[in-house]
Amino acid sequence: MKIITQYKNLENHRNYIFILSLIEDFLKKRGYQKIDLPVLSPALIPESYLEIFETEFRYFDKKEKLYLIPSPELFLKRLLVKGVGNCYYLGKCFRNSDLPSSLHSFEFTMLEFYKLGFSYMDIADELLLMLREINKKLKIEKSKIKTKTKKIKPIKTEEKNLKINLDKWEKISVAQAFEKYADIYEEELFNYKFFFEKAKKKGYKVDKFSYEEIWSQIYVQEIEPNLGKNGYPTLIYDYPKEFAALAQLNSDGKTAQRFEFYINGIELGDCYTELIDWKEQEKRFFKEDKERRRIGRINHPIDKGFIEALKCGLPICSGIAIGVERLAIVFLGLESIDQLKVIDICL
Amino acid sequence: MKINAGNLKKGDFIFYQNDIWQVQKAEFYAPGKGSALMKTKIWNLKTGKNIDITFKSNEEVEAVEVESRLMVFLYKDNENLYFMDEKTFNQYNVPIASVFGLEKYLKEGEKLYVYIFNELPLSVRPPLSVRLKVVKAEEGIKGDTVSSAKKPVTLETGVVIMAPLFIKEGDIIIVNPETGEYTGREGK
Repeated sequence: MKIITQYKNLENHRNYIFILSLIEDFLKKRGYQKIDLPVLSPALIPESYLEIFETEFRYFDKKEKLYLIPSPELFLKRLLVKGVGNCYYLGKCFRNSDLPSSLHSFEFTMLEFYKLGFSYMDIADELLLMLREINKKLKIEKSKIKTKTKKIKPIKTEEKNLKINLDKWEKISVAQAFEKYADIYEEELFNYKFFFEKAKKKGYKVDKFSYEEIWSQIYVQEIEPNLGKNGYPTLIYDYPKEFAALAQLNSDGKTAQRFEFYINGIELGDCYTELIDWKEQEKRFFKEDKERRRIGRINHPIDKGFIEALKCGLPICSGIAIGVERLAIVFLGLESIDQLKVIDICL
Repeated sequence: MKINAGNLKKGDFIFYQNDIWQVQKAEFYAPGKGSALMKTKIWNLKTGKNIDITFKSNEEVEAVEVESRLMVFLYKDNENLYFMDEKTFNQYNVPIASVFGLEKYLKEGEKLYVYIFNELPLSVRPPLSVRLKVVKAEEGIKGDTVSSAKKPVTLETGVVIMAPLFIKEGDIIIVNPETGEYTGREGK
């Protein structure tokens, strides 16, 4: 791997840093407490769909395994249990085995914020306010620059402005989206047998693959390209329970209170009404851990302290994780997150 | 030959729905839910049609086993590059779309490996470097001593690339044809 200095990206980088400050201003104004957190942890939340980085701390003749966090959730929820209130983390997270691409980096900046007493749909309202604020302030900054003298190097933003109207969300449930874009009806989406038959008919390979694998393939091939392209940002909600992760289930028993939001076909964030039932959480932990072992992921200790914390009572709350570099390229009209980097570590 | 879609890369040939397609873009994609995927853009060599196909990264795809044969590049037009097999004197035309801009760096008479499947020419293996003469270069900007500074130069094939300020007309320079980057100057 190589270290590459991308000095030509400095102006994009400055715009990116400006967006970070806008995000923080917004959250501070609304009373969220900023939290700085470790990025190395001796245990993690088991999540089968992502790979982790492993390292060790050595002292005297001893070695302790440590893992880079793929998300700050395990720490923030402990603090929520203690009563920290509305809070956020804006910092690095790490996900191994994701090959670098225009939207992916194995090390990236994540914004994760939690609000007490909120459901996922309340977060959607708060988030929309944040997106509008960023858009508004970016426009003001641009107009200021135009009036300044040429001596100061201006923050140059690409001419391709955000062509999306942030007045409202285009809300669509996962079931509606599968019907609208992939011609897969609700009865087929939530029934493994019907779903496999339909997928096969559509030309997908189904033998030896799981529901999750085929669902993901259809989602990426047929659903995702349409999201956030109708003039408004798209909020797609109520994922099948197989993708519940740490989200609370809906009363229908089939879906979880999870949404993702998209602009121009790019997934920008992921929100849950947080699961507060520790027994259910523990069950999912064991299931995910088993799946991790089955598919040969790096073995790591399960964060049992997280379950212990949940036992003390996580208040009703919702949280969202946003890939900040992706959000920045959408606002700046860039093609790839690489265009924000002044130092790039690449293959 | 079956390969995992996770290993696909730009330039590869695959069988898909009974046709031969070339991978134009392959991006690994882990959506943060479910399994890892390979998002590809492929184009059909027969019809020229482009499509976006997402594979599961562990899904098997049928790779086309191509043979590479050394041939002489004769000339090009808007659609094809024409090559000749020096042993058989057979002529082959390779669609320009399959070489991703390599045609801009090719000189007539050059020898290159052409990918063949069932006597059907599919594409050209890009050489690691090409040597091309500079036919037009402006004088270096006076007083500019920044060593990393570059200027546009025109090469004998007509392509314009960025080269260091000290490059003059008549120089032979070495270029990476896949990236269009200047990599060095041939000694005199």
